[in-house]
Amino acid sequence: MIARVAWLLARPGTSGAAASLLPVTAFAIVTSLLLTVLGGAQTFWTWTDDFGVTYQALAVVALVLLVVPLASLGGAAARLSARRRDDRLATLRLLGATPATVSALAVLESVVLAVAGALAGVVLYFALVPLIALIPFRGEALGIDGVLLGVPALAGVVAGVALLAAGSAVLGLRQVVISPLGVRTKQEAPKLHWLRIVIGIAVIAIAFLMMSVLQVAGSMLVILAMLGAAFGGTIAVLNLIGPWVIRLVAQSQARRAKTPARLLAARSVLESPKAAWRQVSGVAMTSFMAVFAGTGIALLGSFGEAGDVEAMQLFADIRTGILITVVGSFLMVACSVGVNQAAGILDRGELYRSLDMLGMPTPTMDTARRRAVMSPLRITAIGSAVTAAVVMLPLTGAAIIVAPLSLAVIAGVLASGIGVVWLGLLATKPMLERAAAG
Amino acid sequence: MSSFVIEASGLSKSFGQTHALAGVDLQVRTGEAIAIMGASGSGKTTLLHCLAGITRPDAGTVGFQSGAGRVEVTALGERERSRLRREAYGFVFQQGLLIPELTAVENVALALMLNGMPRARAEEYGRGWLAALGLAGMEDRRIGQLSGGQAQRVAIARAQVTGASVVFADEPTGALDSATSAEVMQALLDSTTGQGRTLVVVTHDADVAGRCSRIVDMRDGRIVGERVPGVTA
Ligand SMILES: Nc1ncnc2c1ncn2[C@@H]1O[C@H](COP(=O)(O)OP(=O)(O)O)[C@@H](O)[C@H]1O
Ligand SMILES: [Mg+2]
Repeated sequence: MIARVAWLLARPGTSGAAASLLPVTAFAIVTSLLLTVLGGAQTFWTWTDDFGVTYQALAVVALVLLVVPLASLGGAAARLSARRRDDRLATLRLLGATPATVSALAVLESVVLAVAGALAGVVLYFALVPLIALIPFRGEALGIDGVLLGVPALAGVVAGVALLAAGSAVLGLRQVVISPLGVRTKQEAPKLHWLRIVIGIAVIAIAFLMMSVLQVAGSMLVILAMLGAAFGGTIAVLNLIGPWVIRLVAQSQARRAKTPARLLAARSVLESPKAAWRQVSGVAMTSFMAVFAGTGIALLGSFGEAGDVEAMQLFADIRTGILITVVGSFLMVACSVGVNQAAGILDRGELYRSLDMLGMPTPTMDTARRRAVMSPLRITAIGSAVTAAVVMLPLTGAAIIVAPLSLAVIAGVLASGIGVVWLGLLATKPMLERAAAG
Repeated sequence: MSSFVIEASGLSKSFGQTHALAGVDLQVRTGEAIAIMGASGSGKTTLLHCLAGITRPDAGTVGFQSGAGRVEVTALGERERSRLRREAYGFVFQQGLLIPELTAVENVALALMLNGMPRARAEEYGRGWLAALGLAGMEDRRIGQLSGGQAQRVAIARAQVTGASVVFADEPTGALDSATSAEVMQALLDSTTGQGRTLVVVTHDADVAGRCSRIVDMRDGRIVGERVPGVTA
């Protein structure tokens, strides 16, 4: 049995290199990003003044922000891994392996992929070190010595990524059934309660109030804490109502659809609004962050005395940190979309093949698949930017006057977010074409 | 006008070392139901795919006689064959292979929408076909809410709704029990030969083949015999 299992799992895949390269690439990018942030931030812990604490707090916030897309990427990679091994896992079930054994093997495999990716990520990080060293904080470049991490930290991150992959694989596999007839997505009717909306509006109102009294808060730390609470609360709300709004829009699109591609796209979003949201939620975070942070910085900047060099530097550094975090989450979103799409294409391989036989042009299939991502993406990016703007409303007037550039930054972030998702879709087009050709 | 709707000659097709088809000649008459039988791996699916313009054979030709004249299928490019398949042919597969997120009527209407028919009219035609196949009242169900036999009827409606002159079916009853299998086969025959259309069906099932007008037997990529059901070879 063991030898047979090993052989089954070691055979090269039939679904092409893209399916195994994608998760490995994704984990490599995740690891090098984590190491970059950790390496850049370790310098902060050598600072012992008042500002040092603020820097440390912000570094933790950035890490936490990156962990969210990281976890969903891990889950996507696990689902892809289960599907990629569809035939083998099904064979194992036929050979009499229990679902638990088969699930354990799928988790193990995604951990192996994660470790391979993490090791590649360490190499990538070393290649990046000279560049990271150039990033200025508090007016000085960090320097090679400042950003180079020790062996314990490197090992810790690799182990952490592996653990995360295992955890999200377990969660990801709860959404698929591995039966003797193959891996498929569980058929769950999407249920979203209206109570979500009530809770959402309440939280946004509280955030709005917090932002309204922000100006009377005395110390920088209190302001940061309130910003953090409003930020976290609103992101939680976006996660709560995002799928609901996506479903609402898709319902009306399905009714009005006139072309096969539009009908297919709307119906596939309706199939699982939550999955549609998960694919693009990373962009919601970044577009939200862009508005929130852009205007927030402008506000903080207006507090700082013209002569207060340290405060001005802090604001400039927060900008740098945000830029790194935004770029980082973009990369993860692109990977996430690529990995999710790859999983979806493999999942529907036989269906795509049959549609090709029926004479459905491959471009129609590709358009449908693209629309099924891009339409929720537009709703999400714009919706979360608007939500952020509402929460920031008590402050925006001032912010826009002080920093008209922040609007340009927001638009730029939105456009790039949509752009990277589009790239993720483009990267998986050859897989679709191969699936359709059989 | 020739009485053959499809004429294939000298078809051969290899996958690596495997000679899936090793010189097949076959003529399909207009309005007949022809069954292709044979052991697993004997080349039935490959033959069906070559006849339907899905796969291009390594050698040999396939001609299709349409109302507008004869088309040399093997000489057409990828796009023209794709168009021929969606306009002139219908397909029924073993697993239905319907689009799971669409409703029954949308699955059927999609075939017409791909040919440019407006959605409302396409769905109207779709409803008509579903009703004719005994699925009235189930138009708005999703595929997952249908039984295997019902899903297969939806697939038959999809294959027929465009007015396809030839329907190709690859083990259409392979996943069904024998009672359901007989019903589905009857529905398939009624909607094809019953309307003067042509049916090419690959099957393992002697009962299914027995309902056709002609049976060809395949072995190792060749046609090794031809029978009329009820008459022992
Ligand atoms: N795409 C393919 N790639 C490689 N071999 C194939 C492919 N399609 C069919 N074959 C091989 O060609 C032979 C005939 O297959 P097929 O036409 O599917 O047989 P049948 O439908 O009668 O079971 C088999 O040996 C099969 O393994
Ligand atoms: Mg076959």
